[in-house]
Amino acid sequence: MLGRHGNNLFWMARYLERSENTARRIQAVLNHALSREDGGREEWAAILVNGGFKTTFDKKFENNSPTNVINFLLRDRDNLNSVMSLMSAARQNGRSVRTCLTREVWLSLNESWIACETVLKRPVNIHDLPTILDGIKKGSSLFRGALYGTMLHNDIFNFLCLGTYIERVDNTIRTIDEKYHRLLPTAKVIGGNEDQGQWEVMLRSLAAWRSFNWLKKGRLDPSGVADFLIFDERMPRSINFCYRQLKSNLDNLSNIYGRVYESSKIASEIVDGLNNNRSKNIHKINLKDFIGDHIAKNHELSLKVAIDFNLN
Amino acid sequence: MFDEMLTEQSDEVRAPYRTLMSWLGEQDLKKLSKESALAEELFRGVGITFNVYGDKDGEERLIPFDLIPRILALNEWRRLEKGIIQRVAAINAFLKDVYNGQEIIKAGVIPADLIYKNRAFLPQMCNFIPPGDVYTHVLGVDIVRTGVNEFFVLEDNARVPSGVSYMLENRSTMRHMFPELFTTHNIKSISGYPKDLFNSLSSCAPNDISDPNIVVLTPGIFNSAYYEHSFLADEMGVELVQGSDLEICDGRVMIRTTAGTEIVDVIYRRIDDEFLDPMSFDPDSLLGTPGLFDAYRNGAVILANAPGTGIADDKAIYSYIPDIIKFYTGEKALLDNIPTWRCAEAKNLRYVLDHLNELVVKEVHGSGGYGMLIGPAASKRELAAFAKKLKTNPGKYVAQPTLALSTVPVLTKSGLSPRHVDLRPFVLVSPDGIKVTPGGLTRVALKKGSLVVNSSQGGGTKDTWVLGK
Repeated sequence: MLGRHGNNLFWMARYLERSENTARRIQAVLNHALSREDGGREEWAAILVNGGFKTTFDKKFENNSPTNVINFLLRDRDNLNSVMSLMSAARQNGRSVRTCLTREVWLSLNESWIACETVLKRPVNIHDLPTILDGIKKGSSLFRGALYGTMLHNDIFNFLCLGTYIERVDNTIRTIDEKYHRLLPTAKVIGGNEDQGQWEVMLRSLAAWRSFNWLKKGRLDPSGVADFLIFDERMPRSINFCYRQLKSNLDNLSNIYGRVYESSKIASEIVDGLNNNRSKNIHKINLKDFIGDHIAKNHELSLKVAIDFNLN
Repeated sequence: MFDEMLTEQSDEVRAPYRTLMSWLGEQDLKKLSKESALAEELFRGVGITFNVYGDKDGEERLIPFDLIPRILALNEWRRLEKGIIQRVAAINAFLKDVYNGQEIIKAGVIPADLIYKNRAFLPQMCNFIPPGDVYTHVLGVDIVRTGVNEFFVLEDNARVPSGVSYMLENRSTMRHMFPELFTTHNIKSISGYPKDLFNSLSSCAPNDISDPNIVVLTPGIFNSAYYEHSFLADEMGVELVQGSDLEICDGRVMIRTTAGTEIVDVIYRRIDDEFLDPMSFDPDSLLGTPGLFDAYRNGAVILANAPGTGIADDKAIYSYIPDIIKFYTGEKALLDNIPTWRCAEAKNLRYVLDHLNELVVKEVHGSGGYGMLIGPAASKRELAAFAKKLKTNPGKYVAQPTLALSTVPVLTKSGLSPRHVDLRPFVLVSPDGIKVTPGGLTRVALKKGSLVVNSSQGGGTKDTWVLGK
């Protein structure tokens, strides 16, 4: 496979994952906002800060009303990380690697893009929001289904998975980073209901609200949430799950190409590190440092992958 | 005016269309016309779109697809096929000759200036013969019809002909929408084209490699035919590369892959000659690969088509094709050319100027229907302006009579209505022989009365059927 194609596949997967994550985040905040008297102003503002959108946003909008935030996140062409921009970028990468994809995978991507172009053509109001967000998530599921059901599970597939999981773990790490203070063991005492609302937003934006409740029988406590999001190897958006996937895909590539790669070593080290930490009491981990460290490690891994496989 | 479905009396359906016509009789045409939207959705979903150069929105457009197939009887096709094979064989013999012995010039059949002063002539190709004597691995011959037995070649496309993916996608769309028609008609299959192309390219591989590494070379996703490039690479199961993916190492052409580098043996290139290699051609081109042409001349790689084939499909050379066929095959051309006046010759120029309102005048180096004059449809002012251009630079133009192109019905909102069509059959050339895929791409002028079928100017396409016995 061409190095350039590897790069296109990797980024196509990252952009798609990112657009899905954005949709989930908006949905979680919407859900939160609708049940609060202040309309969740703080949460809408937090999305902008956390995503690094603040500067671009403030240049264009006078205030961060929910409608402004939603339109900026979903359809603003000046925002390179709006769902529309991401879908266009994903599709453009997909077009470049049309020959690496099955017809069904390409169709699901192209049709999602067409659907986005259609529903995001005009400004979005809050009335249409739930339907639009469901549509974006559905497109994502369809794509993933076609991917797993019709593609060869070969190097092409591995590069797509690498992009997906690097993006996904980055999102999980940043989500925790944003609210880590609410996950400290002391938080329960300080916060009360306010924290509960925050944990819910966090879990919902990682598609983990239901599974968390199901596993913990509804016992919502900060250490439990932290442990779940970091270590649980069954939860498809936990840090541990993502790195295991990254390691396994890199191992596959080593097998296919008959070589040992730097990136493969880094992934192994991260997985081992997670196992070590897990055996400790979660209260002993300095969450702030732990998360900061993983943001850096993930970035390093992404760069190494590009070097190892001529992704250019 | 010849309609391919109805006889001149307009009441009798011609034989190849009878089964289709009785099926159409049972359909609700209004409903059918609405179903065109479904076809459009299929095309857009698959991404069969093209970009129009100079369109500032850069929006991807669909080529309109008409649901009514164009049907040729087997005997009609056999005649065309024979004529095409003869023509394409002569074109390849001509290319080998003009770049090597120049016998045809020495024999006085073609004026030397017409070759040597032609910008489609590539001196870099002189004294070199590609393996198997194959110059045009892929070729498209544009054919128009004016009567039951009257077919003319409008032009040859010997450089990088496109449209074959539309031929194939049109067929699969028809099968998807109207499977029942395929049970009541015996239609010659075209689905083997990608495999044929692969085998044809393989058999041209250098140094008798039995399992050559073939790639398709595209200018990239912004090219108007990008869909076709990806389609063909995909269907053949080969890599789709850009110039920047290729590099020359020790005289071999390599691609950079995720696992290291790989040798390339055959390049089915879909970029024009001048962009292939900045060292041998256009030095400003960013699309090409430095050193590629030298590697080609040293036999390390095959370029399909060979560079320099434009000298055979040039509009000034076109008028000599009957002589070219006679010269190399000793036979009379089986397919007629359209009578052509070369405006470079004073006598012809005078005739053309006197009859401008009856003629079609084309630029010798033009394509895509741009820059041409359709005399009967032009205003007095347009005619005068064009006459001026002609006088200033007569060598730039050739003129042809306006032909009454045949019509085939299309589906409109108010039912069936005849529209003018042409046909581009696709030809594969390899050392093993010349193969023409049954049918080809039918292009149709969707505007009533219009003769311009180019997709860039509002033309559409149809599925084209050759009926078996």
